[in-house]
Amino acid sequence: MSQTNNQTDSYILFELAGTTYGVRSQEVKHMELVEQITPVPNAPRFVEGVVFSRGQVIPAVNLRVRFGFPPQAHTTRSRLIVVETGERVVGLIVDAAREFRNLPAETVQPPNESIGSLSGKYLRGIAIVNERLILLLDIKEALTFAGSEVFDEEYPAATAAASTAS
Amino acid sequence: MASTPPISSPGSDFMEEFYAECDDHLVEIRRGLLRLEEQLGELSLDREALEKIFRSFHSLKGICGMAGLQEAEKLAHRAEDYLRALTRQEAALTEGGLDILNLVTQKLEEIIIQRRQGRPSPDISALLEQVAGLNSAFRDGTSETDVPAAGTHYPAQASQQIRAARQQGKELWLCEFRPSPELDQRGINLNSARAQLQGLGEILHAAPRVEKGGELVFAFVLASEAGPAGHHPPQAEGIDFKPLAIAEEVQASPDAGPSTVTATGASTFVAPSHFVRVDLARLDDLMRIMGEMVVHRARLDEALGRVSDRLPSADTRKLHEITHGFSRDLRHLRDGLMRVRMVPIGEIFERLPFVVRDLSRESGKKIRLNVKGQSTELDKYLVERLKDPLLHLVRNAVCHGIEESEERSAKGKPEEGTITLRASTVGETVMIEVADDGRGIDPVEVAASARRNGLQVPDDLNPAELLDLLCAPGLSTRDEADLGAGRGIGMAAVKGAVLDLGGEMELDSRPDQGTTFRLRLPLTLAVADALIISAGGQRFAVPQGAVQEITTATEAAINRLEKNEIVKYRNGVLPLVRLAAVFGLGAESRKEFPVLVIGTGLNAVGILADRVLGQREIVVRPVNDPLLKVPGISGATELGDGQAVLILDSASLAQGARARQRQATAKSL
Repeated sequence: MSQTNNQTDSYILFELAGTTYGVRSQEVKHMELVEQITPVPNAPRFVEGVVFSRGQVIPAVNLRVRFGFPPQAHTTRSRLIVVETGERVVGLIVDAAREFRNLPAETVQPPNESIGSLSGKYLRGIAIVNERLILLLDIKEALTFAGSEVFDEEYPAATAAASTAS
Repeated sequence: MASTPPISSPGSDFMEEFYAECDDHLVEIRRGLLRLEEQLGELSLDREALEKIFRSFHSLKGICGMAGLQEAEKLAHRAEDYLRALTRQEAALTEGGLDILNLVTQKLEEIIIQRRQGRPSPDISALLEQVAGLNSAFRDGTSETDVPAAGTHYPAQASQQIRAARQQGKELWLCEFRPSPELDQRGINLNSARAQLQGLGEILHAAPRVEKGGELVFAFVLASEAGPAGHHPPQAEGIDFKPLAIAEEVQASPDAGPSTVTATGASTFVAPSHFVRVDLARLDDLMRIMGEMVVHRARLDEALGRVSDRLPSADTRKLHEITHGFSRDLRHLRDGLMRVRMVPIGEIFERLPFVVRDLSRESGKKIRLNVKGQSTELDKYLVERLKDPLLHLVRNAVCHGIEESEERSAKGKPEEGTITLRASTVGETVMIEVADDGRGIDPVEVAASARRNGLQVPDDLNPAELLDLLCAPGLSTRDEADLGAGRGIGMAAVKGAVLDLGGEMELDSRPDQGTTFRLRLPLTLAVADALIISAGGQRFAVPQGAVQEITTATEAAINRLEKNEIVKYRNGVLPLVRLAAVFGLGAESRKEFPVLVIGTGLNAVGILADRVLGQREIVVRPVNDPLLKVPGISGATELGDGQAVLILDSASLAQGARARQRQATAKSL
């Protein structure tokens, strides 16, 4: 999606494994504490489970796991950022979140080629503000997972069940 | 009728005080009447409000009499009578009665104003008739005294006939017939009693009555020609005769309290007695007990299965018949209970005209509320949850939607604004609309307001986006400020409630033409009976309908065939699905496992769990995200503690197991 140089987008910033990320605020529905996640058997590993949010049952995605960081127990600072992309409503579990910031287009660069191709796909851009690096997330990409190549590694139980079924 | 000369001329100090006092009482009455309006549909009225209004009319009567306003005094007196009857529960408040009270109050205001301006009093004869009509419907006699008409009351027609008979010099008797087996044996029953009475005179009124002890009594009012000197009561077997007189009417049924059954074809002023007000919690309790009965039935079936080998087949057939019948009745009972929970949406709609009246009076706007589809029925739970959201939408329409009369005229619209509430059912969905013909929602204004609050807003807002903005509660980092058109935070709650109920909301707004909010809700919550089980330390819900029975299997009895596990079942084998294993959860080590049998005969499959925790009625929430499309899960629910519980797709689990079973069998052949 192209941005004109005059545009300023507003973002919600969050922390993940020591790095600051941003999501466009228009994609964020609300934020909650991380509570009562029900695990879903045979879901991708980065799907920690489901939660009830405003009457809806939504997946809770552990972004640490999604981006390959070592998982960490939830703390009082952990947050569930409920985002909406298209018809989907999904919760993102992050280490901390509280900042809300306008980022003028000039501060944003396209994602660098040198960032690993897998993770690079999840970024819309990188913002540099006061020497601070903010990775801007492309939620749609972050929440899309390809089918089979991730299958074996990510949900062994179902793979076993599936193979006996076929 | 002209007033008698006043004690003092209008404008004197005394009169000023008098007018002020009248004003106080009239305001008190108005307030009280509004309060009563809100309660019209309910079976018990606010006693305090009634007392206040009663006292106000009483006082008004007194001071108007003193100040020489005879018409006002008369009107107030009549109103006082009606109010007295209401406070004593001798009459019930109806819309008609309330209207008349409002008219009386208006008329009183008029009289006082006219007087103040030195103008002649308005004519009250028509209104007096109306109030008199109110009063005579519940009380016999034209007495203006304060004699309480406790006990029996007769409908208007009977009262008239009784009075007429008295005037004609006839004798009136209260005849009571108490049916009993002994009397019946002697051929004396209600019909024969009636025939006897008809032979003695004219039956003016007849009604059954239940005495304190539960005894049934039939009371007749009989008019007979006056006999020669001496008024001896007539005789008839099995019937007690008492002279009927006003004083005795009072004493005739001293114990006739709330258990009195009034006459059939009675006046329209008696509150409907064939409705029962039920605490929703009791209904929930009943549903829970129902659920437990279902589990018991399942266990009964299972136990029956175990002993059926040892019984003659005729007996087992009989027992199965009985449990089938039992199960069918349980289902009917459950359906009946669900129907009991359905109430007409009119329940909430009823209150809204008075809210509109209040608010429009406060704001000085002219507004009319149209209500359609009040009889549309919804689950009571839904209705309860919709009360506040609808109230909020209506309030918004009055306060922010409808313009002032001048503005409306300037736009070429009728001075009176219209708000329409409409409910209808389309298939499994109920649609509720709150529409106003006001100024509409200005997307430019909303967008500007949103941007001021730091939200990023595209230039072109479609109705869905506009609605989202209106309902956006904002993030906790931001001020929860008004997002435009004064609609504010309440809209977020409205949207939240609609979503919680599994519904959706739509906005249709046109500048200067009006705004319509459409709420679409599932008619009944997608509710199902489910067994709650635990496997691998996690709870799951299994829809009841799929489960044929619950049996048990011991670890020892489970045999392995290739990768499959089977257990002996009835006259064959049952392939098993170990939930904990399929779901990659740590299994509990147990000697015995409950097995939920899915499917019948050769298609039966058993789902092995760790424990059966109980049975619950659950609200099914869809689980649609692609990340959650896992085999064996069809949805989620919540059992009251906010924790999501997954719903098993037993059919797909069973299918997988059957497929494996077939393969294994094929291989072994």
